[in-house]
Amino acid sequence: MSTKVAGSAVKDGYTNVKVFLDGEPAWIKAGNVFYASKGNINKGNIVLIDLRSNKKSAAGRIARSVTLPYADDTFDDNIEEIPRKAHIVLYSDSAEEATDAISDLRDEGYKKLALVYGNYAGWVKAGGKTISGPVTTEINWVRILGKGEVGKEDFLKAATGKDTGAVILDVRTADEVAEGAFVNSIHVPLDAIGKNLNKIPKDKKIYVHCTTGARADMAAVELNKNGYKAFFFVANIDCDGNECEVED
Amino acid sequence: MKKNFLKLVPFFIMASFLVTGCNQDTSSTASAVKPVVEAKAQKPQGPSYKGNVVGLSNKAKSISIQVGKGKKAQTIMVKFDDNTKGVEHASKGHASIIFYEMRDGQPWATVVKPKLAKMPKGVTEIKVAELQDIIESETNFVLIDARPAARYAAGHIEGSINVGVKTYKKVAFGVLPKDKDTLLVMYCGGPT
Repeated sequence: MSTKVAGSAVKDGYTNVKVFLDGEPAWIKAGNVFYASKGNINKGNIVLIDLRSNKKSAAGRIARSVTLPYADDTFDDNIEEIPRKAHIVLYSDSAEEATDAISDLRDEGYKKLALVYGNYAGWVKAGGKTISGPVTTEINWVRILGKGEVGKEDFLKAATGKDTGAVILDVRTADEVAEGAFVNSIHVPLDAIGKNLNKIPKDKKIYVHCTTGARADMAAVELNKNGYKAFFFVANIDCDGNECEVED
Repeated sequence: MKKNFLKLVPFFIMASFLVTGCNQDTSSTASAVKPVVEAKAQKPQGPSYKGNVVGLSNKAKSISIQVGKGKKAQTIMVKFDDNTKGVEHASKGHASIIFYEMRDGQPWATVVKPKLAKMPKGVTEIKVAELQDIIESETNFVLIDARPAARYAAGHIEGSINVGVKTYKKVAFGVLPKDKDTLLVMYCGGPT
């Protein structure tokens, strides 16, 4: 995409155009950070974390922030509470502290991370909205379902037999299924879908699952191509017998 | 090049003797020929799918690739196995070329290659270190993030502006510098 935009600029007469082809992944890999846009900080589906002290945060912070002070280790102690799939935006009053927190999160495997331009002072200077009053440490983040996904509630209704209008399709391998599976499920491994369409009812909604959602996504695409109404479930699923742990 | 391959033949024969031992004469000669054939096959043959990888499962050994544009777009599932080369080039959201052969009515990947973006004429590539140098030297330049707006909003390189492929016509005139000799640096989500 960057090359197409570069081509357009050259056509428009720009004489000194360069492309940083390795882009986003290389930038992050080199230990650099990203910055979030103001609109995303105000309204995006993000987890916004104030790393400053409770006192400073209570006196004034960006709206929707949770306060997890870095200096007294509240941040590190609560790192498990931060949802892994969320976009996380951090700010502090020290640039060093903010980048340290980013490093901590990267070490834990978090990927979608960004900072606020100029930290808290930068936000205030740019005229960003702030609030004051008692702080919160509780993260209320809910992932917005992507296109073609089924939510946990709907999925579990079908898995427990409460919703008879939908069937659960398990696309894991036979070995994985041998360890355990949902009671009300049909099993067809992802790579055998094409040859086993006759096993899958066409008159019901199909909720597809695997162990994370990657294979389920691919299977749902394949089914929808064949005229099914299929949705995939993004969650970590671990079955032992008929007991399945579902972590979305 | 041909000379090199010929030089390699004795090596492969020796190597295969080392692996298989010398007691199975016929089979070791047969396997001695094989690596040469593989080495020669530098340009993958056969039909191929070109498009964005939309899914990859190592457990099911399948790659889903979206080919075609607009209404003709379709997703194809291609199987792979331990003989498939370059599976590491298939990553979700990136363009790839998958060479395949049909087995039992199903496409099997033989070689996966990254579909690299072509650099337009007059445009040069820079690496991360050069970009860091440009930023640190405070050179007058404009950094352009060519990714979709939502990705830009979620996080971008400090000081960059968002001009995507789809928005170029609409926004470029307003945000690009008037001086056409100003350095412009574009980046997006990776090399494809």
